[in-house]
Amino acid sequence: MRAVSALHELQRGFLAALYDDREPGPLDAIAGNGLEPAARLRIYRRSCNENQTGALRTAFPAVRALVGEDFFDQTARGYRSAHPSRSGNLQAFGAHFADYLGSLPETRGLPYLPDVARLEWLRQEVALAADAESLSPDAFAQALIAIDGPLRIDLHPGVRLFASPHAVLTIWDYAMHPGEARLQLPEAGERVLLWREDGEVAMAALDAASFACVEALAQGRSLDDALAAACARKAGFDLAVCISGLVERGLLVALASLDCREEPGSCR
Amino acid sequence: MTSSGATGVRPMPAAAGIGLRAPHVTRVLHEQPRIAWLEVHSENLFGAGGAMHVAIERIRVDYPLSLHGVGLSLGSADALDAGHLRRLAALVDRYEPELVSEHLCWGAIDGRHGNDLLPLPFTEEAVTLLVSRIGQVQDILRRELLVENVATYLRFRDGDYTEWDFVAEVVRRSGCGLLCDVNNIYVNGVNHDFDPLTYLRALPRKAVREIHLAGFTRKENLPVPLLIDSHSRRVDGKVWDLYAEAIAMFGPVPSLIEWDQDIPGLEVLMAEAAHAQEVLDARRVRAA
Repeated sequence: MRAVSALHELQRGFLAALYDDREPGPLDAIAGNGLEPAARLRIYRRSCNENQTGALRTAFPAVRALVGEDFFDQTARGYRSAHPSRSGNLQAFGAHFADYLGSLPETRGLPYLPDVARLEWLRQEVALAADAESLSPDAFAQALIAIDGPLRIDLHPGVRLFASPHAVLTIWDYAMHPGEARLQLPEAGERVLLWREDGEVAMAALDAASFACVEALAQGRSLDDALAAACARKAGFDLAVCISGLVERGLLVALASLDCREEPGSCR
Repeated sequence: MTSSGATGVRPMPAAAGIGLRAPHVTRVLHEQPRIAWLEVHSENLFGAGGAMHVAIERIRVDYPLSLHGVGLSLGSADALDAGHLRRLAALVDRYEPELVSEHLCWGAIDGRHGNDLLPLPFTEEAVTLLVSRIGQVQDILRRELLVENVATYLRFRDGDYTEWDFVAEVVRRSGCGLLCDVNNIYVNGVNHDFDPLTYLRALPRKAVREIHLAGFTRKENLPVPLLIDSHSRRVDGKVWDLYAEAIAMFGPVPSLIEWDQDIPGLEVLMAEAAHAQEVLDARRVRAA
């Protein structure tokens, strides 16, 4: 095995110190020049913590509003050690933050908190997702006529779906735009559709049937399957309203014929 | 070894530009203010799509563009992050920027990132490593990379070079361009007690392709003076003086105002850029 170089050794010690205050770091290698080497290293400990915590603050503003700055910053420190940054791009830092929040005994009183974080991470995914040309209502109608048999509908790459047992969208809204009145927390969970509109992330709560329909489409299942999934939640589900809603928001990018042997679902 | 100066890359105007940050994107898009050129952080365009790409697609038409990376970690002892480099290469292909730059520092080891510009020892080992990495990047990008000298808050005991000889050696041996951050030279001069003019004089002047200017903050209540390269204020008077010296030595070079914390209105940045432009214009008059 190749011996680790002097530089590698130095960088290992240095980075360990940035992640853990108990790690002294390569103090013998640092020239003090009028200041303790530990004090010089502390400047880097702080800026590393600040840069990474700053990325979490940007990605999780509602979580921060809900728990307060002090607890958020303390949690960010813990998260940094549990899930060190794996990328030179800070937009990638925070993928495990929701799970980490859920693992903390301190957040047990806020059972919805991890799902608010999940929603915020999805918002970040939506903001950064690839661009794609949307199908216009006319193009959609023409494609619909042209395809015979079972078909698949491709959603825009910026579409995300999130179902939570908590009223996660209401809570997010409240955290971001707190009003005078106390939040009357709905008992039921919420199903959220996220997408990008004019460069901004948009969200809406969907009923169970519409959510099931869009979810089936997102999974690449046939339109008939999507309809069946929706009808299982609500008899008389109006597929046309659901699909035209998606078309109007520019969330459909392609229609394709599906070579599918499955029995199409039907709605009576 | 490398293919610096690839054909098809337009030259960046030797004028004063501004680092484009999120709060100003909408205004720049709608008002197209008179700014000679713009620089963006490469990593802010690492997402596959979205508002930032839409903005840069449009801005690219009206302004010369520089892509400035903060996360490639050229000086990591283990390896370059191939995925990071691939994304950068895709951006360079897509936007064909006039300039592409990174930092002479490290930020990660063994796959763990500090997301900061960390100091290197000025050793032969580090020079050899950087020269090889810069060659690798230039080969993949098929164009010249500029490397920027960073501000530091500590020095390592072991070293074969002064900082200025270290920077000059890396640039000479790799054949890359130099992004000379004048503020960082001033900050390091205070932090490590040297004359910034000695630094400037040691740099290979023909390799200087860009200059950075920014504001620093002073750390109080320490036994020694210490400046932090915070990018949070106007350019200090002493740094303007040093900038004029740099322009006198290097000639008119594309110069950029950076501001990353407590970001003020665009007018403030444009006023700083106008100041830099005066220095550039004065040099041209003298040369004429």
